[in-house]
Amino acid sequence: MTKANSGSPLKALAENLVMFGRSYGADEIEVTILEGTEFSVDVRLGDIENLCEAGSRGLSLRVIKDQKTAYASSSDLDKVQLDNLVANAIRRAELASRDECAGLPQLEGNQIETSALLLYDPEIPVLDPKKKIELALETERIGLSDKRITNSHGASFDTRVIRTTLVNSSGFSLEYEETFCSLGLGLQAGETDNKVEGSWASTQRTFKDLETPEKIASTCRERTVRQLHPRKIQTQVVPVVFEPPMTSWLLGFLFACVSGNAIYQKTSFLTDRLGDKIAGDAIFVSDDGLKPGLLGTTPFDSEGVPSQRTQIIERGILKNYLCNTYAARKLNLKSTGNADGGGIGPNNFYLHAGTLPPQKIISTLDEGLILIRTIGHGLNPINGDISRGAFGLWVEKGEIVYPVSEITISGNLGSILNSIEKIGNDLEFRSPIAGPTIKISELTIAGA
Amino acid sequence: MNLRFPFSLFTSPRSSGIKILGQRPDRGESELKHLVYEDHFHLSDSDLQKILHVALSRGGDFAEIYLEHKLFSLINMEEDIIKETSESIILGLGIRVNSGEKTGYAYTNDISIEKIKNAALTAASISSEISAQNPTSFYSTPLPHNFYPVLDPAHLASLGDKISLVRQTYDAAQKFDPKIKKVKASLVDQIQHVRIVNSEGLSIADRRPLVKLVCLAVAEHSGKREAGYCGGGGRVGLEYFKHVLTPKGIGQEAAKESLHLLEATSPPAGEMPVVLAPGHSGVLIHEAVGHLLEADFIRKKTSIFWDKMGSQVGLPTLTIYDDPTLPNFRGSYNIDDEGTIPKKTPLIVKGKLVGLLQDRLSSRIMGLPETGHGRRQDFTCIPIPRMSNTYIDKGEYDPEEIIKSVDKGFYAQKYQGGQVEDSGKFTFSVSSGFLIENGRLTSPVKQATLIGTNIDILNKIEKIGTDLQFGFQTGTCGKEGQAVPVTDGCPTLKISRMTVGGQS
Repeated sequence: MTKANSGSPLKALAENLVMFGRSYGADEIEVTILEGTEFSVDVRLGDIENLCEAGSRGLSLRVIKDQKTAYASSSDLDKVQLDNLVANAIRRAELASRDECAGLPQLEGNQIETSALLLYDPEIPVLDPKKKIELALETERIGLSDKRITNSHGASFDTRVIRTTLVNSSGFSLEYEETFCSLGLGLQAGETDNKVEGSWASTQRTFKDLETPEKIASTCRERTVRQLHPRKIQTQVVPVVFEPPMTSWLLGFLFACVSGNAIYQKTSFLTDRLGDKIAGDAIFVSDDGLKPGLLGTTPFDSEGVPSQRTQIIERGILKNYLCNTYAARKLNLKSTGNADGGGIGPNNFYLHAGTLPPQKIISTLDEGLILIRTIGHGLNPINGDISRGAFGLWVEKGEIVYPVSEITISGNLGSILNSIEKIGNDLEFRSPIAGPTIKISELTIAGA
Repeated sequence: MNLRFPFSLFTSPRSSGIKILGQRPDRGESELKHLVYEDHFHLSDSDLQKILHVALSRGGDFAEIYLEHKLFSLINMEEDIIKETSESIILGLGIRVNSGEKTGYAYTNDISIEKIKNAALTAASISSEISAQNPTSFYSTPLPHNFYPVLDPAHLASLGDKISLVRQTYDAAQKFDPKIKKVKASLVDQIQHVRIVNSEGLSIADRRPLVKLVCLAVAEHSGKREAGYCGGGGRVGLEYFKHVLTPKGIGQEAAKESLHLLEATSPPAGEMPVVLAPGHSGVLIHEAVGHLLEADFIRKKTSIFWDKMGSQVGLPTLTIYDDPTLPNFRGSYNIDDEGTIPKKTPLIVKGKLVGLLQDRLSSRIMGLPETGHGRRQDFTCIPIPRMSNTYIDKGEYDPEEIIKSVDKGFYAQKYQGGQVEDSGKFTFSVSSGFLIENGRLTSPVKQATLIGTNIDILNKIEKIGTDLQFGFQTGTCGKEGQAVPVTDGCPTLKISRMTVGGQS
């Protein structure tokens, strides 16, 4: 991390803008600048389809005057424009309503040493474009080397380098750089009226941690062809095994329901439930912004509050909500370092792994479904209701017998949390929200 | 499908906003002023020609510059206070070079001529010919039409006037019933100026207003809690909220919906006849037909429709259009994001698949005419074929008769959205509806997912009503990570059988 009194020209720009805001009448002001470079290549059927390379910058700010807040942002960093933007924001703040919870955080304690978080891979900015293109081409080539694969959505390789600068009128002035790279593939199998599709991608902060083209292509291929020749099943209530991406999806919904904004707004079914038993004894859910090298890791949140580890569910008991400064003040809690723009975002939000290999969990299904994909919307935080289109594999006596499609699953997150029977040992942080294989004792499947 | 990872500097709500223009000029002046493209780039035609020249220096066969300036403003009210106002400026340009079927793209929001030339050179590298092409000099094209006549432009209105609209919406919902425990109301408006110049000499500009006023109401009663939503807007001015949909109407409708859901039970599960209410059910056609007729999916043969052009896929009374020219509609535009004049495009006529949604690249590759459906989220994005306002044309059945024809089934009324994949599997998520028993709507039901395969469902559309309506003018469609404003519409429809995902 750069020291407070040195740094990039953009940091100087942010610092000047904070000074300008204070002198123009803002009680408090916070300025964030994101500067990034992006490279992406899409290949399809052995040739480049799109190649995009760009650098860009954007600034966003918040001013508070008499406990009234206004926001603004701009991708035009012209000094005159920015001064206007701040002056306008201060005028707009005067027209907003007084809100005693408004304002910047009171920062106490030490900031986190960024270098220990392994957010930046120096190899990514200097990767040879030819190598990036070749990786995408190779991934697709391997993906297509199977007769059952009939078409390709293409493969993509992306890299991003982002510098975040945050300066506020309480003396906070820090910046950090981070990198991301991603390699992914999408395939189709089957004939025109009986197509199935699948995709797989690996996203990492460090290039050497990326899965190999072989691994991505073979996973994608396997995930695609296993859906060929699906059947419809009867409407019924059965045990359901969630593959890790599906557990992550479910946890994404849980995240929305423990987000402090939803809690103070009473738009979550978990409102006023701190300390209650909401899940089985084996359930532990955490949010951890400090795990080195993970996608959701960050030294501080968008308000400058240092990242931390927060226990959400411990032995089935709801221990904490995730808060930014505003939601924390509304709820008389402390910020958990999850501010994300004006909202609340996950750092690394995950269900702790169990001890069972996934295969073992599947073998306990006498008759039931392995959920492999869902499509659609149908999540309602206000009551926890879930209803989604689904794709799965039908299991009898512990063996996969055929794929199923055109079904929906429906249930309620509150009851699902209490019916997680088994937890796998296969937790991988492929995205900021992650979970292992789980088995739910029963869900309604609607089919024919 | 979207393989890109979810980090973009320009997609967070904080950084997609606007408005720095100060006071409101008097009406006479504003009438003229808001109709004119504003230049924020200060690049002369000869500068732009030079940039195109650089873009073609490696032998690409087409180059284009997309210049965008957008002002965005947001007002949020909740907990009885104006909690936040926000304004944002988006300024930047994107340079595209085509070489055969390949696209090179670069964008920048640092608009110094050197940075722009660097971007042009980056985009140029998609081609590696030795001989350079030369751009044609510009012929300036005036807009032949204006699909968004506006009297009272939102971006010039005072903040006080806009706050008043939000308050009226909020109050209408809150006062509607004591069971309403929580309300959120927001007004979002933007004005986007785009200019497109290309190596074929095209030079054309548009300015596009976009407004929406939305309300979310939460009702609570005996331990149950439900949310209702309503909204309106389009490419309109604030006069819309006097004449078309009032703030009071929006607030009350959201409140009504939440109260309705308090009474609702979980829907049945299984296959049954489904009747789709007019208007909002257009999401069905957006998912089941529209996406799969986007020309990129057809030429890549990933769409289930790729080999079915000209074939009969539905009733002889089924006709579907995508029409970017509907006045003041949210999905409309005077030119698409490649500068093409858009056309009302028939997709299915009398049950036959007849048309595609084309962008420039796909129409060139396929040798088919352009339809003006090349759209992009913003200057950081490559244009791709997209929908605008998609609808099923009216049919011949009285909507009452359609409901009467169902013994036992499901009536889908409002939606959270839908999703489709190229294989034709789609879902749409119903937020509220009714059971149909003996030809009548009976118990209210909530939260159901309908799932099907498009070819199958098109064949099962059994009756089409006379009552064509459009859904809320607040919808956004996502494809490959790009969000664009759209609407969709349909008359009452009967689907003979469809899987309803409920709990009982």
